[in-house]
Amino acid sequence: MLVVRAITASDLDALIDLARQVGSGMTTLKPDRKMLGDRVSVAVASFAQTIPPEQRDYMFVMEDTTNGRLAGICAIKGAVGLDEPFYNYRIGTLVHSSHELNVFSRMDTLYLSNDLTGATELCSLFLHPDYRSGNNGKWLSKSRFLFIAQFPHLFTEKLIAEMRGYQGEDGTSPFYEGLGRHFFKMDFNHVDNLTALGKKSFIAELMPRQPMYVTYLPEDAQAVIGKVHRSTAPARKLLEQEGMHFEGYVDIFDAGPVLQARVSELRALRESTVVIADPDTVSTDAEPLLVSNTVLKDFRMILTSENPVAGKIGLSESELGLLHCQSGDSIRTLSLSVRKNVHV
Amino acid sequence: MFVVRPAELTDIDALESLAAGTMPGVHTLPKTRDKIAASVERSIASFAAHVDIPSEESYLFVLEQQATGAIVGTAAIFASAGSNGTYFSFRNDVIQQVSRDLNISHSVHALTLCSELTAYSQLSGFYLSNRSSAGLEAGLLSRARLLFAVLAPHRFGDRFFVPLAGITDKTGQSPFWEALGRKFFKMDFLDAEKVIGGARNRTLIVELMPHYPVYVPLLPGDAQAAMGQIHSDGELAFNLLTEEGFEADDYIDIFDGGPILQAHKNSLRSFSGSMMRRVAHAEPGSSSDLMVTYAVAASSEQNFRAITVACPSIDATDTISLPQEAQDVLMVAPGDNVICVRI
Repeated sequence: MLVVRAITASDLDALIDLARQVGSGMTTLKPDRKMLGDRVSVAVASFAQTIPPEQRDYMFVMEDTTNGRLAGICAIKGAVGLDEPFYNYRIGTLVHSSHELNVFSRMDTLYLSNDLTGATELCSLFLHPDYRSGNNGKWLSKSRFLFIAQFPHLFTEKLIAEMRGYQGEDGTSPFYEGLGRHFFKMDFNHVDNLTALGKKSFIAELMPRQPMYVTYLPEDAQAVIGKVHRSTAPARKLLEQEGMHFEGYVDIFDAGPVLQARVSELRALRESTVVIADPDTVSTDAEPLLVSNTVLKDFRMILTSENPVAGKIGLSESELGLLHCQSGDSIRTLSLSVRKNVHV
Repeated sequence: MFVVRPAELTDIDALESLAAGTMPGVHTLPKTRDKIAASVERSIASFAAHVDIPSEESYLFVLEQQATGAIVGTAAIFASAGSNGTYFSFRNDVIQQVSRDLNISHSVHALTLCSELTAYSQLSGFYLSNRSSAGLEAGLLSRARLLFAVLAPHRFGDRFFVPLAGITDKTGQSPFWEALGRKFFKMDFLDAEKVIGGARNRTLIVELMPHYPVYVPLLPGDAQAAMGQIHSDGELAFNLLTEEGFEADDYIDIFDGGPILQAHKNSLRSFSGSMMRRVAHAEPGSSSDLMVTYAVAASSEQNFRAITVACPSIDATDTISLPQEAQDVLMVAPGDNVICVRI
């Protein structure tokens, strides 16, 4: 059985093993004991609420209870950009118009911005290849929305997720080759590594400070602005189903899109309900449902096919055990998939 | 002998045939008879004007071959480049990018639309019909405008600039324009030059041209290579002007990327190296081995004339010996003051 739960200090070794599977490209999950150890400590303190909300980093692990392995990980950062600057390009529009010549030129521009400073960030999603089946990926990604629905007061109104940008077959980024390379004079991989070491803001400081006209970039660079890496397309779709969308902010290196949402407008906030655990309730529907306890410090979540009936949900004893719940406890629920014809 | 003098109404025919040989986008002479006539009339009014502050005056000079009376060249100077608008150019900035943490330091060039040249006086419309075989008269024509400014400093600014045509191919395409101006104007280089009449002081420039710096490394290679490069027709003018003390590199033209040479008047040879001397009569045949060639201009704002003369050095004398013919052309007599500079 799989359970998604708040990370604990004893998960560090298994987490390092998991991080070894990640490979390059995911800058926040490197198999580095010091880096991950520090991060787990922050996460444990976050669930214990011993540090202020803006410093918190809620890490969730997906555990296989049959063998104790970690199957996956995901996280929510309370706020970005408060320790060191958080940079994005904002795609803006400038209109150059002359009545006299009857010329009207609409130009896209890239503005270096810190606009997303302080926003809550979804990050560090990784599922072990052995567990990439069924609904596991969907569940792991969406588990964070159920958590936010249970504890919305812990987060800022603005929620963001940075998506990995487009890369060619050879792993190069057309956007980086067309823009960043001229200013950094180093390879994309090197920049990526520096980013992983937390030096992204140093690099960003080398970027030109003035807005740039997109039209000056090579066409292949223009074409990938806001486009995700092939392997990231499904993840993007999942987040978009939950109410996140592209609002014109992109990564300064690979132009990957930043998806954004207002927390209050998330599907999870609108559709999620709290019901009472009651093993005797019998439901006829068998729609996959995310269910969790309502305890911050020991947050746990499973995927069930039981559905609520009249404010009660018939979770089995073993399911209640995974949630550390008993009959009569409050259970938060959210359908895994977007319900079609919700109001029929 | 060649003489440079203010253009007169009777020169309009000659100017029209001169202009027929010029290339649009390269030479800034007015093309149509109406426009030529207007610029001659404006010049005549400018010479006659009583000027307190340099403004809309523009002074048009012609180079005349004394023996035949043929007009073989023309050149102009505008009192203030932005008298009826703002003169736009690209300033060539260097941005230093330094990160101590990453041990990186490099510089990036950026072009910024600016109006700094607005209050400068502008040299313009330099054209010679026989550029390839021109001798001293080319230098005389280019320099005469500045000698006039030396004589009448109140008519001009303290700084001068000269835009020179940039690189275009045989069909009139400019690589710099293709990479930059076209994206904003959405038309061919020559069409744009035509609708704007070669001007750089029109409001539509600020409406259409980029408001933010253009980072040079982002431009295509051929556009970068064209920056600050002159059209082959401009070589003579470029050489004369750099000899005079003008400097390139700081500004380029917003359309074709050609260089804009500029200088403070104190660094120009016509200002720093010119001397006022009284005219003395040179006896015919009284030549020595130590003849020096000077550009000499009559010190009269209304009857400005400039010629080149070979005569004994004037460094240690307070007179300049001019043959009768030179005195006649300059319309001066012994005892009158003339302004002289080695050429």
